[in-house]
Amino acid sequence: MIQIYLPIAEISVNLVVMLGLGATVGFLSGMFGVGGGFLLTPLLMLSGIPPAIAVATGANQIVGTSVSGTLAQWRRGNVDLRMGFVLIVGGVAGAVVGVILLKILRELGQAGLMISLTYVAFLGTIGAMMLWESVNAIRRARAGEPLSARRSGQHNWIHGLPFKMRFPRSRLYISAIPPLVIGCVVGLLASFLGVGGGFIMVPALIYLLRMPTNVVIGTSIFQIIFITAIVTLLHATFNYTLDIMLAFLLIIGGVIGGQFGVRAGQKLRGEQLRALLALMVLCVALRILFDLVLTPSDLFSIVPVAGL
Amino acid sequence: MAMGTTIIRLTAILLAVSLTPALAQKTAPAEDPASQEQVQSDVSTREIAIQSNFTGVEILIFGSVDFSDSRTPGEGAYDVIAVVRGPDEPIIVRKKERVAGIWVNGPGKTYGDVPGFYAVLSTRPVRAIASDEALQELGIGLIDLDFGRGTASSTPEQAYRSAMIRLKKEKQLFQEHDDGVTFIGRSLFRGTVALPVNVPTGRYTVDVYLFRDGEAASNSQGSLMVTKAGIEEILYDLAFKYPFIYGLLGVIIAVMCGLVGWFAFRRD
Repeated sequence: MIQIYLPIAEISVNLVVMLGLGATVGFLSGMFGVGGGFLLTPLLMLSGIPPAIAVATGANQIVGTSVSGTLAQWRRGNVDLRMGFVLIVGGVAGAVVGVILLKILRELGQAGLMISLTYVAFLGTIGAMMLWESVNAIRRARAGEPLSARRSGQHNWIHGLPFKMRFPRSRLYISAIPPLVIGCVVGLLASFLGVGGGFIMVPALIYLLRMPTNVVIGTSIFQIIFITAIVTLLHATFNYTLDIMLAFLLIIGGVIGGQFGVRAGQKLRGEQLRALLALMVLCVALRILFDLVLTPSDLFSIVPVAGL
Repeated sequence: MAMGTTIIRLTAILLAVSLTPALAQKTAPAEDPASQEQVQSDVSTREIAIQSNFTGVEILIFGSVDFSDSRTPGEGAYDVIAVVRGPDEPIIVRKKERVAGIWVNGPGKTYGDVPGFYAVLSTRPVRAIASDEALQELGIGLIDLDFGRGTASSTPEQAYRSAMIRLKKEKQLFQEHDDGVTFIGRSLFRGTVALPVNVPTGRYTVDVYLFRDGEAASNSQGSLMVTKAGIEEILYDLAFKYPFIYGLLGVIIAVMCGLVGWFAFRRD
């Protein structure tokens, strides 16, 4: 087996294992149409990469995989550039907050804990909700009931906010505040968890802003490129936690795995895919939770002050 | 294979070294040869380069005792202790505590000067070679190491200190080898130390002490450099000297890979 030394993580990893990890996550993300950061970053942490390096490097990997995804969506005209721009403005603000937050937590020695807790909370909630929704959809489909159509055109409190903007591609005329806030939250999560944040962005754009679903996917993946690129830059500049060597291995695996994942995903039904994804998300959440609750084999840990 | 050729080359060096003292002994105007032992030593590799295929390296410490008066290799009149010490760095030791069912890092203790690498190789257990006072004076042995700020003798403090030593030992960054040095002839000795994959970079000192009847008779000091090389060095330097450019490079590489992947696999 070929070992490769990572210059920033300062450990030697197995080349095949890291390529395989990238490919597996790429395959799953291609199959389910998600970024895969929520799987990659915890898996990197579990394989011995320091949490903060896993987060920065995970974000860098997502830049690569979302470029391929965006090109595919762009050709189908599914990207709302104007909405994407507003989301990115909010996202940059959130990303800066997240990077600073992570820096402070590292100095306190609580970065790993807070990253894990946030993962458990988010993945647990979203996994449970998705599982509930998809199991119900499968049951309804078996019983032969028609799927309840989304009631469009209905107005909620969000449409009463000021600073209204026109988004012709999404056929919306709404306040710029909700997209800015959504972008900010996703940017914060991206920089703190090393994820793209699609799992928050997509439901928020559909249910809160009532954007058409096809435009939501394209716009979400488009803005993820910019958010994760900014997160990568910020972490590299302020926390010195980006390992390009590791990111490169993961991207190579990810791009290849993703192509096969897309093909595999086309053979499964939507609600079955969502149920599978939900189970996977819940498994990752449980695994992280166990590590927090089970008595560690060693209560002590050492960390160089310079390597914070 | 590279190790094999190194060993052959070293054997040649060792032979050369072992012959020199014999010649020197004849010419040196020694007043009292019995108390004039001199130790000379060196290491097999003075420059260690960490490249992408680096998985650790074994170095050989070798030397000889000039004016040795022992007649047979097994006489045991002399003892040698070699100390390899990497650059000091501050270390935080943390202990996990259970808070509301979850294991959380406690406040932790900082030690100012912890050697990044520390190995003691000796012909016998160091405590059998010399008195505790003598060892402490020379800074030999983990128990006597001064880790700088934070070091104290109170019991809870001691737990952190011993935990750090234990963890460093698990990572092979602290090593103690009681039989790490062996005499090959009357005056020639050698010992090997394995630097693990996670060795810190910087200048290492190699101190070799010669003991005779529990008394430090002579010592010699050498050094070696551990540096990153090749692409590892370029990336490391860039990451810490020009982090913004490094980050930008990471983003550009990712975008290029994404583009290449898309063009290579697109079906329309």
